[in-house]
Formats: sequence, structure tokens, C-alpha cells
Amino acid sequence: MQKFFNLFFKYNTYLLFVVYCCISFLFIKFQDDDLLTKLRNNGMEISAYINDTMMSYSYVLNLKEENDRLMRINTELISKVLSSETTALDERTRQKILADTTLKASKFIMARVVYRKFSDRDNMLLINAGRSDGIKKEMTVLTPEGLVGRVSTVSEHFAKVMPLINSDFKVSVVSSESNSMGLLSWNGGNESIAQVEHIPISSKLKLHEQIVTSDFSTFAIRGIPVGKVVRIQPDKLFYTVEVRLAVDFSSLTHVLIAPLKTEAEKVEMIGENTSL
Amino acid sequence: MTKKYPLYIGILFLAALFQEFGLSRLTLFNVSPDIITICIAFISVTVGQKSGTSFGFMAGLLSGILSGNMGLNMLARTVEGFVAGFFNIPVGSHATAKQKTKRIYGAIVTAGFTANSVLAAGYNPLAISPLYRIVVLGLVETLLTLILAVIVTRLFLRQSLAD
Repeated sequence: MQKFFNLFFKYNTYLLFVVYCCISFLFIKFQDDDLLTKLRNNGMEISAYINDTMMSYSYVLNLKEENDRLMRINTELISKVLSSETTALDERTRQKILADTTLKASKFIMARVVYRKFSDRDNMLLINAGRSDGIKKEMTVLTPEGLVGRVSTVSEHFAKVMPLINSDFKVSVVSSESNSMGLLSWNGGNESIAQVEHIPISSKLKLHEQIVTSDFSTFAIRGIPVGKVVRIQPDKLFYTVEVRLAVDFSSLTHVLIAPLKTEAEKVEMIGENTSL
Repeated sequence: MTKKYPLYIGILFLAALFQEFGLSRLTLFNVSPDIITICIAFISVTVGQKSGTSFGFMAGLLSGILSGNMGLNMLARTVEGFVAGFFNIPVGSHATAKQKTKRIYGAIVTAGFTANSVLAAGYNPLAISPLYRIVVLGLVETLLTLILAVIVTRLFLRQSLAD
């Protein structure tokens, strides 16, 4: 017995090791037992809770990066949305112009207004069609609503348009009912009102008459609407007539460019450099 | 020496938490350094084999609860403490700090590799072959643990080993 106890105390570390190993084996053997499963589940819950807390701290620490990332994504999305909205709007306008039966739009070149300079006297438009698209100087620029102006300068991909509301612009016009002829120009100021000169007192021009381009014009084709008479003031020999323009220049986005009127000989015969 | 047991239990508890939620994210070949091995080896070498074995058992229970694999972890950590105990420095030894450090490193390498082999034997052999687990992953883990041990020894245990 003494020997047994001596042996026991001498090798108690080994015995302890064996006991621990046995307990471990029992845990392995009965790992699906209810008690051990419950213990394991509780452990997993604690573990998950700590992990979750750590993740939330790490999330807070990385909030700046996350914000920057979201900002980048937001910017990309906004740019995509804007791009698709613009494309849809362009397409709708194009379809509207093409569907207009008063114009044979297929013969016209369509362009978008990409820049505009508006002041009280010298207005200018820039369109995104140029020499490569078949645009030439002196071509008529219009919309289904009416006359916009004429092409004044052409580059390879862009063209400068002198609009009706430019003090240097003049066009020969005629009233639709009384056939009163005159010269339309814009004297500055209100961008929706232009003046018609050289209509004799003897003419039977009335208020609200439609004014269209006449055949006398060297660049514009006949019959393009220009506006309506809103004021007639008699002078000594001529009327001073004010016309409300058909085109709203403040919301102009798309224009049509009419084929060039080939009347160089006519211009030569008139003997003037200015186009009417 | 027994006065330090609550301190060791506390350190083991913190080490188990740090291992489970911190070091386990620091991986190389899906293997991370093991700070629990360092703690058990240190206790076994400085206190004794019996204490090392008991602390190994407790550490295994704790890490088993947190990881969800109790039995196998308990067995591996018990074996770890027991094996590390063979590198024990008896009380009153005149070993220098350098010799003690070498013993601790030896205990870490041997105990760690043995524990890893026990764990490898218990895992599903269909996932990764036990041989690959023991030889490749076991060696990588032992190496990472040794690197961590060098850092821990130099930062925290220098004074303790000099006593």
C-alpha cells in the first residue's frame, strides 16, 4: 500500500494528465449531449456578441472610408442618371421635331444648342453640327415653331448661329393675310419682340397677323413662321410694326438647319453683301 | 508561486479572448500565431509540469467554449501543457535569463507542434489531409508562434525571466 502511495505521489502529474485526457475524450464522445450542446451554443453566442461588437467598432473607425466610397458611388450614379435623362430628353425632342408634319424634317440637319451668349444686343448660339455634318454658312436655322436665325460661321464640328435676336440680323418677311412686305430686325431689349420696317401706310396689315419669311430673302426659304403682329404704329410713310417672335429663345435646345438656298446669282444681282 | 495562479488565470482568459478575436484574423496560409501556447509554455516552464497541464486543460476548455470545439481543444491544450512541462526550470535553479528564454522557446516549439498534431488528428480528414495539416500548417503555425513569442518575451517577460 505504501508503495502504491509512493508511486501515486511520484507520478501524480502523469495521473493528472491521464485524468484530463479522459475528461477531454468524454467531451469528444458526448459532444452532442444536451448539456454540452447548450454550453457550446452559449459559448457561440458570447463569441458572436463579442465579434459583433468588435465589428461595430471597426465599422465606426472605418466610417470615413465608407463615406468616401459611398460618395464615389453616388457621384457615379448621379452622372449615369443625368446622362440617361439627358439622352432621353434629347430623343424625345428629336422625335417631336421629326413628327412635326408642317416640316419635312428628314431633309433638315438636326443639331443641339451647346452654347449661347445672350445680351441686350448681340446674341449668339453655338450648335454641335459643323462642316463634317454638311453645315454651310448662310444656312437657315429654324425649329417647328419658327425661324431661329442663320449660320454665320462654320468649323469642322460646330457652327455659330446668328439668331433673329441679333441687332445685325435682318430678314425679308411678309404677312400671311394682307401680303404686306417688310424687313424684320431686332433693335435690342425684349428678346421676344422684333420690329418690321418698310411696311407702307397704304398696306392693310392687321393685328395678330402671321408673319413669315418671304421669297425675297436671300438665305431663308419661303414661309417659315417668324411671329405675330402685336403692335402697329403708323408713321409718316411707313408703319412701325412690332412682332412677337414664334420661337422662345430662352428654352431653345434643338434646332433644324435647312438646306442651303442656292441663289448666289440673286445675291450678286442685288449687289449687296448683307443677306436679307 | 501559487499566489500567482489568479494572475495566470486572468492572463489565460485574456489570451484566449485575444486569440479568438484578434490573432485569428492575422493569418498566413490560413494559420495564425497562437498566444495561448506561449502562455501555457511559460507557466509549464516557470511553475511546473502539473500546473502547466492543469492550465492547459483550463485554457482548452475556455478556447473550446469560444470556438465551439471543446473536447478536442481541451485534449490538445492539456497535451501542450504536459509536453511543455518537460522543459520546466526547477525552483532555485541558477539558470540565466538567456537559458530560461531558450527553454521557453524550446517548450513553445515542441508543445505547439504536438498540440497541432493532436488537433490535426481530430479534424475532418476529408477537408485537408492530416499529413498536410501536421507538416505544413503545423510548421507554419509553430514558426509564427515562435516569432510572436520572441516579441512577447522581449516586450513583457524580460524582467520576469531575469529574476
